[in-house]
Amino acid sequence: MNKKLNNLIFVWSMMLLTTMMTIMPLPNFFYGIRIEWISLAVIFFSMMNVSLMGVIAAWAIGLLLDLLQGGLLGENALILSVISYLSYRFRFQVRVYPDWQLMIVTLFFLSFGNLISLWIRGFSGRIIFITEEWLSILIAALIWPIFMRLLQMLQNYFVED
Amino acid sequence: MAINPSQRIHRYEKNYSSYRLIFVIVISCILMYQDSQDGYTKTLRTYLSVLAYPVTYVVNLPNNTLKGFRVALSERSSIIDENKRLKKENIQLKSDLQEVYKLDAENKRLYELLDSYPDRQKKFLFADIIATSSVLDRHQIIIDKGSNDGVNLGDAVADPNGIIGHVIRDQVFSSEVLLISDLEHAIPIEITDTGERAIAYGTGNKNLLSIKSIPPNSKAQKGAVVITSGLGGRYPEGFPVGEISELGRKEGENFLTIDLSPFANLEMINEIWVIQTGVTENE
Repeated sequence: MNKKLNNLIFVWSMMLLTTMMTIMPLPNFFYGIRIEWISLAVIFFSMMNVSLMGVIAAWAIGLLLDLLQGGLLGENALILSVISYLSYRFRFQVRVYPDWQLMIVTLFFLSFGNLISLWIRGFSGRIIFITEEWLSILIAALIWPIFMRLLQMLQNYFVED
Repeated sequence: MAINPSQRIHRYEKNYSSYRLIFVIVISCILMYQDSQDGYTKTLRTYLSVLAYPVTYVVNLPNNTLKGFRVALSERSSIIDENKRLKKENIQLKSDLQEVYKLDAENKRLYELLDSYPDRQKKFLFADIIATSSVLDRHQIIIDKGSNDGVNLGDAVADPNGIIGHVIRDQVFSSEVLLISDLEHAIPIEITDTGERAIAYGTGNKNLLSIKSIPPNSKAQKGAVVITSGLGGRYPEGFPVGEISELGRKEGENFLTIDLSPFANLEMINEIWVIQTGVTENE
């Protein structure tokens, strides 16, 4: 029991931290490119630490993100839960890939999320193609190996099996 | 050790069952629909935002402490310089204010002659910006004053240079402001030179609004100042919005196409105030 609580605290504090990093106000220097750290964290936990995450958990954190960003309530929630489900389903194939293939798979997951967001935007009548959005997922995919190792390190340290 | 396909590990994870995914997708769709139609998620949002407040507080902590540090560590000489500059500005503003008293009295007298009274119940509430929307196509900011501080839905928000937007959601401790440059935003305006009234639409570009309903025989000039007209009751009358940066007639169009550049720098918003008109309180 205590072990499970400890692990849950680790996962949720990581999720909160990445949410904060996602909505952190950035200086203009970054040209509107902001990395969705929270999506990366959701992909990581859905692939590597299955028992501690879930579709509902991803949905809840997405809802929090929607509230914080002031967007359409449920948009990020939907995207994150779908991303979480996808990365769970493909985890056995993906986990053994070398880094460059992992980056491609991550890019695929993230662009799937972007497509959903584009689709939702289309429904609400504001179809704009935003280059920064796609640039930022490209950068996120490039960062993925480093991010994964870092989280893995933290996980080895904090999570008890 | 090779794994036989029949022995493959198929541990069923309850957390990731497809039923849950479908359930979550349906719930999200309902939420999104309700939210876009301003349904009952409005109250839900208000309550949930209280939960989100600690997170916004922590996120803005580094920014705010940095600001504090900057004040604490900035050099004495620069503070003295700033003080001097502010004193000068203050004197300038005070002398302007003396003129305002005179104009105010004159205005009142003229209104009395006309037997009508303008609505002058305005309060200003200073606020700080907490976050900009990280959704790039949505020009929205979140400010640190909410319904707890007396912000109402629909209150106009301005910065020292001009109008920047209005409150679209009042949460308890913070509120969301839609900027005038957002694609879904329109603001009733008046061109000061000619007195023509129109509506300025947001374009999705933070330095550009567009006016589409001024007839071609208008005498409006490039550089003319545009203020809020007060029609529609959402924005108070007479606040500066921007100036006409481009004016022309396209072939085959019935109206002039006018580009408006807002006075407020919508890319970098610092100090803002919420203008509370008495109108909403009486309603």
